[in-house]
Amino acid sequence: MSNTWAARNSRHTLRIADGKSTWHPQVRPETAERLPRILRRRARRSWLTAITLSLLTSLASAQVADDEVASTGPGQMQAGSLLLKMKSGYAVATRLSTDISAEISGLAARVRVKQEFRNSGSEWVEGVYVFPLPDTAAVDRLRMHIGERYIEGEIREKAEAKKAYEAAKAAGKKASLVQQERANMFTTSVANIAPGETVVIEIEYLETLQVDAEMFSIRFPVTITPRYIPGTPVPGRRGSGWSLDTDQVVDASRITPPIQPVTKDHKLSFDVRLNSAVPLEYIASRYHPANVNRKEDQYAIDLVDSDTPMDHDIELTWKAIPDTAPRAMLFTETVEDETYALMMLLPPDVTEDEPQTHTARELILIIDTSGSMHGTSLEQAQGALTLALDGLRPTDQFNVIQFNSVTSVLFQSSVVASTTNIATAKRYVSGLTANGGTEMRAAIERAMAVSPSEEYLRQIIFITDGSVGNEDALFSLIEKRLGNARLFTVGIGSAPNSWFMRKAAEAGRGTFTFISALHEVNEKMQRLFRKIERPQITDIKIQWPDGASVESFPKTVLDLYAGEPVFVRARLTHAMRALGLITVSGNAPSGTWSAELPLTLGQHGPGIGVLWARARIENLMDELRHGAQEELIRPAIIKTALAHHLVSKFTSLVAIDKTPVRPVSENLKNEQVSNQLPYGQSMNEIYGFPATATGAAGYRLSGLAILFLALLVLRVLRKEPDDVSRKMD
Amino acid sequence: MFLGKWTRQSVRRIIVSSLLVLGFWQLGQGSYIPAKAWVAQELMQRAWSKADDGVRPPPPWPWADTWPVARLTAKDGDIEFIVLSGGSGRTLAFGPGHLSISALPGEIGNSVIAGHRDTHFQFLKHIKVGEAIDLTTPDGRGHRYRVSNIDVVDSRRGSLVLDTDTPVLSLVTCYPFDALGAGGPMRYVVSAEMLY
Repeated sequence: MSNTWAARNSRHTLRIADGKSTWHPQVRPETAERLPRILRRRARRSWLTAITLSLLTSLASAQVADDEVASTGPGQMQAGSLLLKMKSGYAVATRLSTDISAEISGLAARVRVKQEFRNSGSEWVEGVYVFPLPDTAAVDRLRMHIGERYIEGEIREKAEAKKAYEAAKAAGKKASLVQQERANMFTTSVANIAPGETVVIEIEYLETLQVDAEMFSIRFPVTITPRYIPGTPVPGRRGSGWSLDTDQVVDASRITPPIQPVTKDHKLSFDVRLNSAVPLEYIASRYHPANVNRKEDQYAIDLVDSDTPMDHDIELTWKAIPDTAPRAMLFTETVEDETYALMMLLPPDVTEDEPQTHTARELILIIDTSGSMHGTSLEQAQGALTLALDGLRPTDQFNVIQFNSVTSVLFQSSVVASTTNIATAKRYVSGLTANGGTEMRAAIERAMAVSPSEEYLRQIIFITDGSVGNEDALFSLIEKRLGNARLFTVGIGSAPNSWFMRKAAEAGRGTFTFISALHEVNEKMQRLFRKIERPQITDIKIQWPDGASVESFPKTVLDLYAGEPVFVRARLTHAMRALGLITVSGNAPSGTWSAELPLTLGQHGPGIGVLWARARIENLMDELRHGAQEELIRPAIIKTALAHHLVSKFTSLVAIDKTPVRPVSENLKNEQVSNQLPYGQSMNEIYGFPATATGAAGYRLSGLAILFLALLVLRVLRKEPDDVSRKMD
Repeated sequence: MFLGKWTRQSVRRIIVSSLLVLGFWQLGQGSYIPAKAWVAQELMQRAWSKADDGVRPPPPWPWADTWPVARLTAKDGDIEFIVLSGGSGRTLAFGPGHLSISALPGEIGNSVIAGHRDTHFQFLKHIKVGEAIDLTTPDGRGHRYRVSNIDVVDSRRGSLVLDTDTPVLSLVTCYPFDALGAGGPMRYVVSAEMLY
């Protein structure tokens, strides 16, 4: 039955395409007449048949809706959405493979990223690749390899570097340019790659490790979750991404590289060497199967899968055997009369039996249900939310806010964490679906709108992938509205925006957590709850040796949550005269606590100066966001960046070859290299075109059919009860 | 079957009443959707006439999360709709939606407007190549477009290009127009180039 309907409708489809037919299936006379007769005949036999028929009818109407789907087979039985894209982008000749290798020792890692651009086409190309790096990466080296030779990149002011690159590009010379778009997003441009040629761009960065309790970790982002761009388009465009620039994200077209479903075109290779002064209890890769080889103090890690798709961040995590891990680490680097220091210090643990004040909390859970959260991300978020609800105490208050293009709240205002309210919230959470935009502003405003009553401590858990283009505006909003509340970010998905997570949590005086797989929801959320529930270490002060003039970051150490270390980067001038002690003190729940570190015990750490410079630039960027004048901040950033060879918002690395290679007669084609769609996400939910049918006619028809069947059943009931019952028995 | 006569009757009664409820609910849904689409357009025509020059027109109703971006006229004035900003399902229930990511009407680039094939954009079925479509922006400027192309696109494979070199308009709706249910993969794309 359903097949016939579908077949008929396809013919009708063809006719409509010519624009000649006015055939309406719901009023087709002969069917309308015939259908009741068939039904009546069968209905007389049994009311059971009638009901079966009604089911079939609705099935048939569902079938009609999607004749195309029916003809393409069950494998593609999903409604599609038209993709919106920019002219350039998809079928590109430029192939890319990435090789990440890192050397980790002490508190820092030096990472080398080799991007191999291969031109598989027959024209000369300029390859442009927008790619992610960790949000604290200090990018200080660029090398362009052409065959056996290489050209070392120079650090220049952004506009100057761009000009030099463009001039070389026009002259047919090989050139490459590395620019910063966001703290964790960079662009490599490579000009004049000959047909069939391969150019390797080598970028190096330094990064400090993450330390939580005694666990160390480092993350290597490999793809970018498509960013949502709020605002209204403005004329002109700065880049060639899929978005137009808007009034809220003026560089939107630069931060929206094309996205492709996972292909084998982009290859990734990965190897890391970890030097550990103490034996490790474990070392693991969180999301990718990895091989670990140990040779004395050195661990070599690589991925089992030789062509790993670039669709999921890589994270390594390790921990020393209990009681062997140092609770304080100090590294120094001396350049002329300046000493740079990187210090990590774990305050004493807050133990379980510590007297706990248990201030009643108002827990506000914000969940991002935008299109980029669709799929595995939403499942991870739902798991995290459910755990958060389970962790509520009866004295707490709570609310759940979800946002996509619009914000909606579960309860008009926060409610008591009663069993019924929690059950309602859990039902709400399990029914969440993800689609639409990522309008975060309204959700944050809603969460921070009414100030909580005095006796409640407001804690906001913000669960999102952070895939927005207006990060700075949101950080400012959080800072402005925070009051006494605390905001904790939970970064969800295969490639969350790490910069958003860290800075939003910093603005919210909270902490950040990443959940990138379903199996770690429990572990990560429990760790977050431990932090949220335990008392903090407050009033942290650092006393530097007398006589040295010190510039340290962060300028003030924020209150620490359980397990968090004091992490400081400092520059000491004339420190030689002051070989004294660094004293760190704070207020722990058990009383005042302090620790001393002799500066002379600092181990030599190459690159500590670069890490300090990177922290200084971040601090200056924060000031810019807080309203400092750009004319004052800009020169300071440029000076620090040039001195330490660092890529920043105002400086870029550029490498230019001397001899022109592209004949003037040949054109140069610009190509954007795409990022891979993060694991578990759906193209349609992100770039999808809205659904453009209501199905109203279908509702009406099935409504009529059902009413008609009801009539039939009534008739059968009245006239032939005996007949039917005999048959039924 | 071991059911007694009375039981069987009550079973039937339950079936009949649930069929009635289901049937009326479906009918209600089927009539409510077009009714809402029509009433909303009436409300918006009012909001439109209130709009001042150069000022963003007021939302058509106080709690609306969308606002008018243009007035679309076709078929020599027989068809007239207020186009809303955004393409969310909520917006499209009230009127054709201009996708925020696409160019604004009259500007260089592709202005993409989506509408439901069974309410506002039903008229696209009768649009032919060469016909005129007019868009008036809130500042009172009018733009005339001429239909240059009509395509049926499989949305699983096709895509719309946003950064065209000239101002163009794409009106998109679901296809086929007479399918009973929603959610099919085909899209009907009417492309028009701007004359002035």
